[in-house]
Amino acid sequence: MASRLYKWLDSRLKLEPVKETLLDEPIPGGASWIYVFGSATLFLFFQQAITGMFLAVYYAPTPDHAYDSVRYIETQALFGAFVRGLHHWGASAMVVAIGLHMLQVFLYGAYKPPREAMWIVGVLLLLLTMGFAFTGYLLPWDQNAYWATQVGINMVGSVPFVGTFLVKVMRGGDMLGALTLSRFFAVHVLFLPATIAVLVALHMFILRRVGPAGPWAGAFERRAKRPASAPSPPPPPAEGPLAARPFVERRAQRTEPFYPRQVFMDAVVMLGVFLVVATLALTVSFPLTDKANPADHSFIPVPEWYFLFYYQFLKYMEGPILGPIATWVIPGAFIALLLTLPFLDPSADRAPSSRRMVLGIGALFLVGVFALVGLSLHDLRAMKRTDPAVASGKAVFERFQCTSCHRVHGEGGAVGPDLSFVGDQRTRDWLIQHFRDPQSTSPGSIMPKFPLDEQQLHDLTAYMLSLKKGV
Amino acid sequence: MEESKGTQPVGARRSFFAWLIMAAAGLIGAGLAVPLGGYVVSPALKRRERMWVDAGAVADLPVGEPAQRDVVMTLADGYLEIAAVKGIWALRRETNDVTVYSPICTHLGCGFRWSSAERKFKCPCHGSMFDTEGKVVGGPAPRPLDRLPVKIENGHLMVQYKEFKSGTKDQIEI
Repeated sequence: MASRLYKWLDSRLKLEPVKETLLDEPIPGGASWIYVFGSATLFLFFQQAITGMFLAVYYAPTPDHAYDSVRYIETQALFGAFVRGLHHWGASAMVVAIGLHMLQVFLYGAYKPPREAMWIVGVLLLLLTMGFAFTGYLLPWDQNAYWATQVGINMVGSVPFVGTFLVKVMRGGDMLGALTLSRFFAVHVLFLPATIAVLVALHMFILRRVGPAGPWAGAFERRAKRPASAPSPPPPPAEGPLAARPFVERRAQRTEPFYPRQVFMDAVVMLGVFLVVATLALTVSFPLTDKANPADHSFIPVPEWYFLFYYQFLKYMEGPILGPIATWVIPGAFIALLLTLPFLDPSADRAPSSRRMVLGIGALFLVGVFALVGLSLHDLRAMKRTDPAVASGKAVFERFQCTSCHRVHGEGGAVGPDLSFVGDQRTRDWLIQHFRDPQSTSPGSIMPKFPLDEQQLHDLTAYMLSLKKGV
Repeated sequence: MEESKGTQPVGARRSFFAWLIMAAAGLIGAGLAVPLGGYVVSPALKRRERMWVDAGAVADLPVGEPAQRDVVMTLADGYLEIAAVKGIWALRRETNDVTVYSPICTHLGCGFRWSSAERKFKCPCHGSMFDTEGKVVGGPAPRPLDRLPVKIENGHLMVQYKEFKSGTKDQIEI
């Protein structure tokens, strides 16, 4: 049926040449698992786009409703927590995929001539992805979203001359509020997707025009034949029977069409990525913290893991001079360095042996980033933090007006038992059973059976268990 | 290897890869389509929670004469909770039983009125008429007036407000 439909469409639209162009692109050196990261990134981009569209079905971008609408997605909409989980973990996976893709391009010297434009567009795509991460983080409008965004925007304020103005533009005024949320939403779901779609198309277009770089072996051979500064021509034809040449040369000389083996490898990795992200979405919850409260300055926001290295770096860079250096000089210089890398390292020679300094700098940078992430995780573990379930449970406690009967640290009614230290007196199982059916654990109790869903039940139990002496 | 000869892979190997690629794509597609479909459709499948709402003291209702009462309900509208006011028609009988009618005409959903002079409920839109028992006594209405569940608690009339599909012979709750 499908093949008949294709034949009919082909007879009208002449699809066969398009198919050949798309699938028969020669891959120098043949298909390889090392080339899958770009496809994995593209797949995750589509997954983010699709799950984002579906999240927008229920999301309301106003301070009055944003938090409740995300809560609705999380607790009421069928598969809502899964869809939000796919979007959340998909974002993290996209950062990993981009990181691996850039690392592969860097190691293989694929940013070198004639692929400079592809690298520059790739760096712009990285910046847009960071823009997605920053604007998307505010949207749930919980405490973490609000205060992390507040910190992010304030960093822009350290830019000389225009910083204050930029901050106001980002906020849409003097304060982080309704106008900030609506513009972050618009940027996240309209402006950035439109821009990134164009740049992704451009990235692919350039790839098809200049072709993939292929393995290093080809670069070894070209190095031997040409001066290092000469532009890179297509691989030279093999001289003599291919089988008689050394293995690395044979591999470099060989080409293989994109379809089927490379497509197969890409598909396997895409499926693997999807399964990992779906498993994380199903098993690791990331509950909302309390609704954003601009008056609560005590809240300590923690960024997503992929910003942790920078978060840690900022801790070491305090003061009137080091502060601005960390908040805009170094990030600006780093972006400039990335954008100009093909021109700073213009030799067409891609062999690692002749790029020791560049690769060494790259390795040092990675060691620095991972060291900062390690230090940050160490600090975070040492920091006493409230379990988000406890915060959610406290919200449930207030929502069901439990305080009208129960007292916690001097606040609330005296009809039921004082719960100030209930965590020392009751077990998790007892509390869950009690909330499900108060009569079953406390015969004669006048406590009504509240219509708690499973999430609320566990959050409320977490809050009760947190009420202990000495906490 | 066939690739190294510069030829295209052909035959069983190529179709084997094609099947594997399609299987991977199918798994991803199904893994997304099922939850995303359920996610969008779920509000349509959710039944409204029916709450008992207070429609005032039974003693305040006239005997044998239908009276309109407003009931205030808290409705869950997605992530919002909204207070909705609905008018119902209550008829207290001599036995102190109370019959409550939905205020919506069973023909096309207009609000009907009580005519004391004619002792009939009359719909201003298309002229449907009902007697005090809710039976159709004139006009195009396809079924009697819709009765709402009632109970009396501590002398107060408690009503479960529901809405029904208009224009059908059978009563279909929506």
